[in-house]
Amino acid sequence: MSAPAMARSGARFDSPQDQERWLARRRWARAGWLYAFMIVMSFFFLGPFLMGVLSSVKDNPNEYPPRLLIPQFSPASISRAWGQGVQGAGDGWNGGLRPGRSVTFDVSVDSPQGAPQDAPTIALFTYQPTSLVALAKQAQARDYAQVKTEQTGVSGSVHTYRTTVTYPPLSPAQGEIIQAKLGPVSDRVTAILPGGQNVDVTLDTPQAQSHQYDLSETQLVELVKVGGTYVLRGPVFQRTPLQVDVQRGQRIVSSTLPPSDQQNFDRSFAYRNITPGVLGYTFNNYRRAFDETTNPQTGQSLFLRWVGNSFLYAALRVMAALLFCSLAGYALARLDFPGKNLIFVLGVLFVQMVPGQVNLVSNYVLLRDLHLLNIWGLWLQGLVAAGGVFLMKQFFEGMPRELEESASIDGAGPFTTFWRVMLPQAGPALIALAITQFQGAWNDFFWPVVLLRQNTDFTLTVGLSNFRSAYGGQGDYGLILAGAVLSAIPVIIVFVVFQRYFVDTGADSAVKG
Amino acid sequence: MHKRGQAATAYLFLAPFLITILVFFFYAFARAVYYSFTDYNLFNAPRLIGLKPYADVLGDSLFRRALANTLVFSITVTILQTIGSLLMAVALNNKIKGQAFFRSAWYMPSITSSVVITLIFLWLFQRRGVANYVITQWQAYQPLILSFLGVLIVAQVAQVLFERARRLPARWTDPALAAMSALIAVVVTLALNALGIVHPRAVPPFDFQYFSDTWVQIGGVRLLSMPLLVVIVMNTFTTIPTLMLFFLAGLQNIPGALYEAADIDGATPAQKLLSVTVPMLRPVTFYVLTVSLIGTMQMFDQVAVIGSAAPQETLITMAYYVYTNTFKSGAAPVNMASAAAIVLALIILLMVYVQRRFFVAPEAV
Repeated sequence: MSAPAMARSGARFDSPQDQERWLARRRWARAGWLYAFMIVMSFFFLGPFLMGVLSSVKDNPNEYPPRLLIPQFSPASISRAWGQGVQGAGDGWNGGLRPGRSVTFDVSVDSPQGAPQDAPTIALFTYQPTSLVALAKQAQARDYAQVKTEQTGVSGSVHTYRTTVTYPPLSPAQGEIIQAKLGPVSDRVTAILPGGQNVDVTLDTPQAQSHQYDLSETQLVELVKVGGTYVLRGPVFQRTPLQVDVQRGQRIVSSTLPPSDQQNFDRSFAYRNITPGVLGYTFNNYRRAFDETTNPQTGQSLFLRWVGNSFLYAALRVMAALLFCSLAGYALARLDFPGKNLIFVLGVLFVQMVPGQVNLVSNYVLLRDLHLLNIWGLWLQGLVAAGGVFLMKQFFEGMPRELEESASIDGAGPFTTFWRVMLPQAGPALIALAITQFQGAWNDFFWPVVLLRQNTDFTLTVGLSNFRSAYGGQGDYGLILAGAVLSAIPVIIVFVVFQRYFVDTGADSAVKG
Repeated sequence: MHKRGQAATAYLFLAPFLITILVFFFYAFARAVYYSFTDYNLFNAPRLIGLKPYADVLGDSLFRRALANTLVFSITVTILQTIGSLLMAVALNNKIKGQAFFRSAWYMPSITSSVVITLIFLWLFQRRGVANYVITQWQAYQPLILSFLGVLIVAQVAQVLFERARRLPARWTDPALAAMSALIAVVVTLALNALGIVHPRAVPPFDFQYFSDTWVQIGGVRLLSMPLLVVIVMNTFTTIPTLMLFFLAGLQNIPGALYEAADIDGATPAQKLLSVTVPMLRPVTFYVLTVSLIGTMQMFDQVAVIGSAAPQETLITMAYYVYTNTFKSGAAPVNMASAAAIVLALIILLMVYVQRRFFVAPEAV
């Protein structure tokens, strides 16, 4: 409030300094409230993303009540996950269980007086990932490894138990150990070596013989090279799922890794993987997004394929827009020709107002008849964005006429003027255009979902929405959130790098226009 | 200027643009109009049957539901996001430190794809999800929150009356006094809690099923479904930042002299907003309303992603109706889809026209 207003309201200050102080205090308070408001709004706009990102690493993102303290981020858990991975496979990053190794896992159970004092039942269990594509059954650790539990200590009513999971190799043969993938199913067992070479696999023990039919194609195995033959040492497991059951009255107070799941009134504890390694523990859902969408026929990760498709589509859209939108925008802004207004009103404004659903049927039928129900058809039907033409027209209209006039005095034709004089000046507008087009293409959903029919042709948005319907009902939200986070990363990077242009896009041209 | 040569160049420059819109827009548009008068179902040769598809569409109860949902959605979201983005732009327009940070933080929902945001919201609004958890917490801490608010108001009133007794020009909303009152309220509430007088209640978990067949009804007319309400919240959340930028750009063009004049007249911030900012932003508001109406009438992504997770009636919109009819398994009533699409286009054009005609000063357009 200013001095005259105060005079009118009959305010009384002892001195001008007092009044100044009073006003200053109010300015500060107002700034404080403003900041408080802005911070609250930031929480509102970032909160859902932060919750999503944090929960995407959880074993069970649906846990209730939701926690913000996540074991997957605690240094102690991560270092233990590393240790378990080293024990199981000699690989602290990826973890797993390999033939000839053994892993220990500690569990402490509180059995107060009056409660049963029995040791918990500890066993391996089957974990079969569900997938978007028909997945070959994976070999399970419980069919190959042995579990032994012993009590290691007592302190008060807390008993400590150590479980050792031992995985003896299927063959005693000695020699160079090679990792390979099993080849196509036939009457012989074959494997594909890392070099791509296809070899026959020898099964030299009864144990190995007995397992030959439960190993399916693409299963990762260890082979021993003895002379010219490859002997099966056993499959390599990515996961070692362990289950611990205690009796009523007993309670698990700690374990090497926190449990992934608690069932049966907290008497059944599931550890989805006791040999996770860091990637298998903290980034398990992210790893699953790539691994569990693998097509067994091609061995290719569908998720990776979708990422590639999205990038291809976005790159094509950006290139087409840069070229065609600036040409069209320049013509509409600076050249004089009959029908100019009509083209602008019908071709730019009207096109933006009519919903895409009107063209759905016709474009679908057209592209189907041309056998273009794929990325190329998708690109073709959105080749020149009317919004982009509008943006470039606004930009070129704002440029000084003198540039063109001097070019024309030098005898340059319209094309030379455009190419040599105008386009080099259009840097900021072109960046803004490229960004909007990239973002638009990356996030596009309606046309991709209409036109793309094969799951290998999907873009990321269509694939992700399929994640939801594929896992339906309860929803495998670990996978969905991880996929969502991964798919948001490229746009966020573009945003962080080109922030200034993002903020400039559209808004200015629209307000001025 | 040699006009003849220029026209040829211009058409050459425009050729890719014109060819694309002729094939993929105007030809498609004409074909959609044609299909909407035929018995086409994707697999037969189209045969003209007059207005029957339009009659079928208007007679389809699902279409009427889609129309109602779309209108409710469009109008609610447009109002919410216009007001929200205006207020946020005004807040952000203050010259304060960290403005760039807040602007980018707030802009986040606008750059992420609607599919990603829908998936995250589906997760937040599960039966045992974060949204229900927050409501449970709110219920549990209600005694503390209410006592905080109560003390805040009492302290503020007391302080303002005291200042006025000293003949100082304090308003009821004086920010400095309010900050003091908030501090007092926090201390008092904590003290009451420590003394055990006010404490969180034990409440059962709030278990609301958002994606179910629940409706807000007025006089037996199903007005708004719960799943649609979630989508309204989500859409407002994602579009406010984009529209905020338009308002920000508009705010920069308002001469500061107007605010100085208002200051001299002793206008409150609310008065300045209503009598200076809002009228000066009329052209931008018109643009924002138009963009918002066009966008919300075509809402599709969220509904398609949620798909079977909510009962179809609760969420179906015009755009989704067109899509499902085109790809309905068995016989696809493409003629009905086309008719519905044309109806949708007509409604949008009509809305834009009406808005242009009646709500806006002519110089803004």
